[in-house]
Amino acid sequence: MVKTKSSSIIGKIIIYALLILLAFLMLVPFAWMLSASVKYNKDVFSFPMKWIPDEFIWENYSTIWTRIPLLTFILNTFKLTIIVTVLQVLTSSFAAYAFSKLRFKGRNALFLGYIGTIAVPWQAYMVPQFMMMREFHLNNTHLAIICLQAFSAFGVFLMRQFYEGIPDELCEAARIDGLSEYGIYRRIMLPLSLPAISTLVIFTFVTTWNDFLGPLIYLNSTDLKTVQLGLRMFITQYSSDYNLIMAASVVSLIPVLIVFLALQKYFVQGVASSGLKG
Amino acid sequence: MKKVLSLALALTLSLSLLAGCGAASSSAPASGSTAASTASGDSAEPVTLKWSVWDIDATAYYQPLIDAYTEANPNVTIEMVDLGSTDYQTVLATQLAGGADDLDIISVKDIPGYSNLVNLGMLEPLKSYTDAAGFDTTQLGGTVEQITVDGDYYALPFIQSFWVVFYNKDLFDAAGVDYPTNDMTLEEYDALARQLTSGSGAEKVYGCHYHNWRSCVQLFGILDGKNTIVDGTYDFLQPYYELILAEQDDGICMDYATIKTGSIHYSGVFYNNQCAMMNQGSWFLATQIAAVKSGESLATNWGIVKYPHPEGVEAGTTLGTITSLGVNSKSANKQAAFDFIEFVAGEEGAKIVAETGSFPALSSDEALDIIAAVDGFPTDENSREALNTVKTYLEMPMHEKSADIEVVLNQAHDNIMTENCTIEEGIEYMNEGVQAILNA
Amino acid sequence: MPSQANKSAAAAATPVKKRGMKKETREALIAYSFIAPNFIGFCVFTLVPVIFAFVLAFMEWDGVHAAKFIGLDNFIRMASDPNFKAAFVHTIVYVIGTVPTTIICALALAILLNQKIFARNFFRTVSFFPYVASLVAVAAVWNMLFNPSMGPVNQFLASLGVENLPKWAAGNDTAMLTVIMFSVWKNMGYYMVIFLAGLQGTNPELYEAASLDGANKWQQFWNVTLPQLAPTTFFVTIMVVIQSFKVYNEVYMITQGGPGTSTLVLVYQIYNEAFIGTPEYGYASALSMVLFLLVLAVTIIQFKAGEDKDAPKKKKHAKKAA
Repeated sequence: MVKTKSSSIIGKIIIYALLILLAFLMLVPFAWMLSASVKYNKDVFSFPMKWIPDEFIWENYSTIWTRIPLLTFILNTFKLTIIVTVLQVLTSSFAAYAFSKLRFKGRNALFLGYIGTIAVPWQAYMVPQFMMMREFHLNNTHLAIICLQAFSAFGVFLMRQFYEGIPDELCEAARIDGLSEYGIYRRIMLPLSLPAISTLVIFTFVTTWNDFLGPLIYLNSTDLKTVQLGLRMFITQYSSDYNLIMAASVVSLIPVLIVFLALQKYFVQGVASSGLKG
Repeated sequence: MKKVLSLALALTLSLSLLAGCGAASSSAPASGSTAASTASGDSAEPVTLKWSVWDIDATAYYQPLIDAYTEANPNVTIEMVDLGSTDYQTVLATQLAGGADDLDIISVKDIPGYSNLVNLGMLEPLKSYTDAAGFDTTQLGGTVEQITVDGDYYALPFIQSFWVVFYNKDLFDAAGVDYPTNDMTLEEYDALARQLTSGSGAEKVYGCHYHNWRSCVQLFGILDGKNTIVDGTYDFLQPYYELILAEQDDGICMDYATIKTGSIHYSGVFYNNQCAMMNQGSWFLATQIAAVKSGESLATNWGIVKYPHPEGVEAGTTLGTITSLGVNSKSANKQAAFDFIEFVAGEEGAKIVAETGSFPALSSDEALDIIAAVDGFPTDENSREALNTVKTYLEMPMHEKSADIEVVLNQAHDNIMTENCTIEEGIEYMNEGVQAILNA
Repeated sequence: MPSQANKSAAAAATPVKKRGMKKETREALIAYSFIAPNFIGFCVFTLVPVIFAFVLAFMEWDGVHAAKFIGLDNFIRMASDPNFKAAFVHTIVYVIGTVPTTIICALALAILLNQKIFARNFFRTVSFFPYVASLVAVAAVWNMLFNPSMGPVNQFLASLGVENLPKWAAGNDTAMLTVIMFSVWKNMGYYMVIFLAGLQGTNPELYEAASLDGANKWQQFWNVTLPQLAPTTFFVTIMVVIQSFKVYNEVYMITQGGPGTSTLVLVYQIYNEAFIGTPEYGYASALSMVLFLLVLAVTIIQFKAGEDKDAPKKKKHAKKAA
């Protein structure tokens, strides 16, 4: 007994030492962003590196709002991100239910096809896709980005794998109780898969928020552009204002962090298993 | 059922694409002949022209050019489409895929981009237009000749930049060394750089600074006019790599690997008084002037001189880049688009460009005087004189494979400068790689 | 697959109704109705262009002129393309270097952060940082740490008396290693989140039972945690494999494919063929197809392996849960 206690204390110490090292390694980029955002541009990449600048250039945080229409960009990105996330979560979890708990012809082939497209790099079909969108007169509209992002195979795959972890017995019991498949999806699967849905929301949100190449190709008008394109506007042909890029990045990181923190509570151990019991 | 649907969709799509392509390719030769007939189209009709550009907010001359032109031609409206500078070529290629007519005027960023667009037939040949308009292309300082392909040209240059040496007078004073002159051979320049190097750690001052671009080293080799960068043999580069690598090993210039992995931008090195001399393009003039005013640049006492040259080459020989404008061969308003380009490349346009601090392709003493008169431009005689060039070689000459050649040259340059291979091996790599491209 | 059980249960549960419509057809229609909203969007906006890109693999197309059918020429050309050989080998090396490391790190991290520890939410958020922080910042930090002349890593090595300090991203033989380490560091937080969500589905009663049986922590991990995490691990493995085959950003940020061609990977080459120089969409598509087939082969192997392992485990799980 005593032995296990002392060894568990040692274990605790090791765990916390690991955690602190980890936090340090992971926080370095953020610290760098903060530090770069209050420097002159020339000092951002200067050697030897200074974490705390001699002079704090707080103006960077006001300059970013005047140099580019940052507010418009943020609102655009919010609009796109929220629509894409809602569509993605709804349609993916819906489709994933069929792939995981229903049986129909061609299920495996269809599913493999889904995953297969994840393996094709976007650079390979970007041009045909753009030409098709142009035929639909969707280029230079937000709708184009929504269509591209909202129906990814990734979401279906993710949700399906989580549903796989939910015992089939649960669905069978519900069927015997006379619930329709739609009822099972809504009353049983959705509540049970909250951690999975949170995960998908986090990823869709982060991906759409940080997407760069899609908006770059499809959005040409300034009033349609997104934050990531805005950041790129600080890089011009012969110079790059990395201090402003970092200041704007820090600002644009805030929504992502809020989403992550807000969904944390669904990662509390036992949500799903307590559901299983009930 | 879904499969059928998807197949049907795929089929219609590919059919429409192929049909689109077919139509585009068949109409291409016809467009040349229609050019002349539309040339005299009446000018009163309202026209909207779309102009592909980059960095609208950071570029001073777009709006003044448009304003001046539309004032004289009230029926014309010009809309800029900003495709961003870093990915301009990628976005432009996508926008134009399948022969789109959305854009009328196309900004051409560099020579590889130009040669691509020409190869693809995306640019309208302009010789018949300039002849009809009586536009004298020789006034563009030989730049049109450098982009002529088979007797015709597909764009008119309107901006040029050329390389000079920026130097920090305070660092020269501190080292007790005389300022560089406008007639400096490469050996003199190297000796000067070695004299100016001092200190270590945070106090380190480099004698000279090269950004990690291939052109910073390789293009010393073409100033004598005997070789070009697209020939397929690169043995002439050997002495220049030896020179720069020796400087690098002796700590005269910043280490290439550090610059590359550290994303170190040349402006910071100059602003922070970390280098005494820096080879850079004339585009840096406006940036440095503004940075001194804002207090960001600590190198407040500075000047420029002509680019160093190998023994036996006339001073004022340098390298440069041009930005030009072309007409989309699919555009519905070719004549109107050309009229605007003619204005921009011509005298009036050149004046407007010079007033915003950039160098017009149509160079004149008047334009250079305007630039040198800008508040903040170094006041010494030599700096004004440094703006007079005798011969400017393009960083990348016109060649149909120039973009592919550039990839090989960059890879070899990277390998030599990080000392992952010897100079001989690197040159061998260039010779083989480029010849494979040329023979393909 | 688990659906065998479904079918019989469903058959027992649903009384025959709706005028002679076959039960199987009815079930299939319900299934299709679940899939349709996502599938139609996916089909139109992704699948069709992908199919079109595959057709292009057998053509020569510059994006402007009519595409020309050239049969297998694009694939024959690969055989003598030194860049393709380099890119192919580097991609495989990258995948082998990245996949196991990322999965192990992410799983360890998730298990660590699923414990009841002080400031758990803080540590979880922090682990996610390299993934969400600005690409420029992440790459800059990494390059700074591993800067050959002034980076802390090399300074530390020098203090240990190491001679011939590695040049990391600027060295031919270390560039790929640097990219791999960067990728693991940047992406493990992402997969950690998926593992964390997967861990929420594990049944605590099984742990109680296992510890009553006298299993130590390590045995519990092997016999209780891992089997329950199987669907999640499967997902993570496939995603890491696919993403590793498709690596582009990480290479672009750290080495730009260099020095020379020492970190040139397939997607990098695909991008170059399509957008640098004369656009060769046909050749780029053929390269993508090779990449696709490669990934598909690996994925099918994983699926088969997953199914074989799945079957017995499911049963065991079901018994215990009951």
